[in-house]
Amino acid sequence: MQLKMALAGNPNAGKTTLFNQLTGSRQHVGNYPGITVDHKEGLLHYEDQTIVITDLPGTYSMTAYSAEELVARDYLVYNRPQVVINIVDASNLERNLYLTCQLLELGAPLVVALNMMDVAEARGIEINAAVLARHLQVPVVPIIARSGFGKDALLSAALQVASNNPQWKPLNISYGDDLDSTLVQLIETITSESLMTETYHSRYTAIKYLENDEQIQAKGREISPKTAKLLEQLVDKTAEHTNRTLDVYPEAIIADHRYGYIKSLLRQGVVTRKFDADRLYTSDKIDKVLTNRLVGPVFMLAILFALYQFTFSWSEMPVSWLENAFKWLGNLVEARLPDGVLKSLIISGIIDGVGGVFGFIPLIMFMFFGIAILEDSGYLARVAFMMDRIFRIFGLHGSSVMPFIVSGGIAGGCAVPGVMATRTLRSPKERMATLLTVPFMNCGAKLPVLALLIGTFFGENKAKYMFFFTMLAWIVAMLAAKLLRSTVLRGVPTPFVMELPPYRFPTIRGLFIHTWERTYQYMKKAGTVILGISILLWAMMTYPGLPEEVTASFDQKHQAAMAAAPPEIAAELKNKNGLLSDAAKNLNATITSINNEKAETALRQSIAGKIGTSMEPISRLAGFDWRTDIALVGGFAAKEVIVSTLGTAYSMGQVNTTDSQSLSDHLKADNNWNRVVAVAALVFIMFYSPCFVTLVCIAKEASWKWAGFSMAFNTIIAYLLAVAVFQIGTFFNLG
Amino acid sequence: MLRKRDKGNSSCFTDTVKKCLGRHHCSDLVSPLSKRGETGRIKICKVTGDRAICSRIAAMGVYPGVEADIICSGKGSRCILKVNGGTVSFDADVSQNILVTNL
Repeated sequence: MQLKMALAGNPNAGKTTLFNQLTGSRQHVGNYPGITVDHKEGLLHYEDQTIVITDLPGTYSMTAYSAEELVARDYLVYNRPQVVINIVDASNLERNLYLTCQLLELGAPLVVALNMMDVAEARGIEINAAVLARHLQVPVVPIIARSGFGKDALLSAALQVASNNPQWKPLNISYGDDLDSTLVQLIETITSESLMTETYHSRYTAIKYLENDEQIQAKGREISPKTAKLLEQLVDKTAEHTNRTLDVYPEAIIADHRYGYIKSLLRQGVVTRKFDADRLYTSDKIDKVLTNRLVGPVFMLAILFALYQFTFSWSEMPVSWLENAFKWLGNLVEARLPDGVLKSLIISGIIDGVGGVFGFIPLIMFMFFGIAILEDSGYLARVAFMMDRIFRIFGLHGSSVMPFIVSGGIAGGCAVPGVMATRTLRSPKERMATLLTVPFMNCGAKLPVLALLIGTFFGENKAKYMFFFTMLAWIVAMLAAKLLRSTVLRGVPTPFVMELPPYRFPTIRGLFIHTWERTYQYMKKAGTVILGISILLWAMMTYPGLPEEVTASFDQKHQAAMAAAPPEIAAELKNKNGLLSDAAKNLNATITSINNEKAETALRQSIAGKIGTSMEPISRLAGFDWRTDIALVGGFAAKEVIVSTLGTAYSMGQVNTTDSQSLSDHLKADNNWNRVVAVAALVFIMFYSPCFVTLVCIAKEASWKWAGFSMAFNTIIAYLLAVAVFQIGTFFNLG
Repeated sequence: MLRKRDKGNSSCFTDTVKKCLGRHHCSDLVSPLSKRGETGRIKICKVTGDRAICSRIAAMGVYPGVEADIICSGKGSRCILKVNGGTVSFDADVSQNILVTNL
C-alpha cells in the first residue's frame, strides 16, 4: 500500500529542496516566494514502503487569502495524507510556527522538520527540538535540506506517525473571551446543522468564519444558505464589537493570540540566543543599501548590465566553435552525399535548421548561470520589490514582477511558467493584464534571434544592444499593460505585500543544477520539437518543386552558358583542380547565378514560399521580404524556429558554392537586410503573437477568447512598431 | 502574548491598541508607515484597509502591538519591515494603512 505524505511550510522554508532530496526529482527551487504555485508529486521508497510525497505551495496561513493557500488547504482536506511534514525555517522559528499552529488547528497528523539548522546556528540560535516536540506534541526533527542531513530521521519519524494510523485531532487555542464565546455559538450551529463537518472539524470552520475566509463562507452559502446566514450574522456582530471596542477585526486578534501561543512555547526553553534577538543580520544591512530608493535602482541596472556583459563576452568563443562545427558538418555532408532530396533534408532541414538553434547553447548556458546566481542569492525578490513602484504606474501589481522575470524579464525565461505564475495575483483584472503582457518579455526562445541579429548587425556592442532590447521589452510591456488597464481591463489596483527571503550564498552545485536543468530543456526542445518543425518547414519549402518546363528552361540556360564558353574553360570548371583562371571564375559566377535563381524560384514556388510571397505586400512596409515572412510564420509554433527557418531558407538558396556559409554571413550579404530591417525584425519578433504553447497555456488559465485576443493584440502592436521603426529608419537613412 | 487582565472587560491587547490610539502618551507620534523617512525600531499601533490584506499581513506577523524594524523607508512609497524574524515588503497603499509609533 502506498503511503501519502505532504510537505507544507512557509515560502522559502525549503520544501522543494527537501522534496528533491527525498524523491531525487529536480523540481525548480528559487530563493523567492511563489515558485511552487501548484502541488507536485514524487515517489520514494523507504524501509520497504512506497511513499507518495506531495510538495505543496508555500503558504503563510491556512486561510484562503491567496491561490497558494487554497491549493495547500484543499489538498490537505480532500486528500487526507497520512502524514504532513511541516518544514520550518529554524532561523526564523517564530514566524514559521504560525503555520504550524494552523496545521495543528486543522488537526493534520504532523511531523515538524526544523530546516536550516546550520543557518540558525550561524545566527546564534540554539533550538531544543525535544522540548519543542514535547510542547507541540508532535515529532520535531532537525534537518538541513540542502545537504540531506536528518533526512532519514525525518522519514523514520514520519513512518512512525503513519504507523499509528493517526486521527485528525485539532489543537484548541484560546482567542480571548470575546472570540471564544462566539466560537462556542458558531460550533454549536455548525455541529447541529452538520455544515461541512465531513471535511473540517466544527471548530476549524468556526475559526475560518471568524477569520473572514471567503472560500469557507462561499461553501457554507452553497451548502446551506440559511445556516450560513446565521453564522455570518454572529461573526458580523462579533466583528462589529471588536471593531468598536478594540478597533481591530477578529482576524487580527486571532493572529495575535496565535503568535502569543508561539511566543509562550518558545520561552519555555525551546530557543536560546547567543545574540540579541532584535539585531539586524548581514542580509538586512545589505538590504539597507541594495533596496535604497535612490541607489537601489542604480545597483539593479548595473547588475543587469554586468550580467549581459558577462554572458556575451564569455560565450563568444564557444558560440563560434559550435558555429564552425556545424559549418564543418555541413561541408562534410555536402562533399559525401550525392545531390538530391536526402542531401537537401540533412543540410538545409537538419544541420542549418537545428544547428542554428544549437549554436546558441553556450550563450543560453551563460545567461542561465547568471540568472541562477541572482535567483539563488535572493536578489531577484529585491528586483521585484523595486520594480513594484514602476508597475503601479502602469496599472500592474507588484506580484506581477515575478511572472515577468520568469517569462524572460532578464532575458532567457519562458512565458509558459510566467503565465502560470500569474495565479498568485488576487485581482482578476491585474492578473489578466499581467498574463497578456508577460509574453512581451525576451524568453529563451527569442534569445537566439536576438543574438543572431545583434551579432550580425551590431557586433561591436552586443551587450549594450542586448541590454537596450531588454529594456525595450519592459517598456512596451508596461505601455501595453497601461493600455489594457485603461480600456478593456479597467479596475482598482490591489495592494502589494511580499516577504523578502534572506540573502544566501548560492552553492556551486545548486547553480550548476539550475543552469543544466534549463539548458537541457532548451536542448531537448531544439532536438525534438524544433527538429520536427524544421523538417516540416523544410518540406514546405521544398515541395511541390518546380514544374518540369521551368526546370528544363533553367537546364537549358545552364547548358547554353557552358556551351558558350571555350571547351578548355568548361573542362577546367568541371574538374575544379587547383586555382581557377579568370575566365573559369567568370563562368563559375554565371553558373552559380543561374543555379541560385533556380533555387530561389523553387523556394518561391514552394508552399511556404507562396505563403511568404502572399504576405510580402504587407510585410514590406516593415522591411521584411518573403523569406523572413516564412520564418515569422514558423515562429508562431515556437520562436526558436525563426532562426532555424531562416537558416533553412537561406541554405536552400545557396547552391554549388565551395563552402557553407553561416546564417549570419548570409544575412550580411543579403541586400534585403540592413541595420534598420534588423531592428524592425527584432521589434516584431519580440512582440508578435506568443508561441503556440503559450497560447494554449493562456487559454487554460483564462479562455480561448483571451488567447485569441493575445495573438491578435500582440501581433498588431508588433506590426505597427516594426513599420514605424522601418519607415522612420529608412527615411533618415539609418540602415 | 498579550494576556487578559484580572479585572474589567478590557484586555491587555485592548490597552496596547488604546494606548496608541487613545490619545494617551503616544498619540502625537502615531503616523502611517509610509510617512516614516528614517529606518529604525517602531511599534505597530493599528492596521486599516482591506480586511483580506490585514489578515494576510497579520499572518506574516504584522498586527497591532508588534515591534518591528524599518529596513528601507519609502517616505511616501514602498517600505521594508523586519518583523518576527521575517522581512516583509509593502507598497505605498499598504504602508499608508499601517499606523506606527516610534519606540
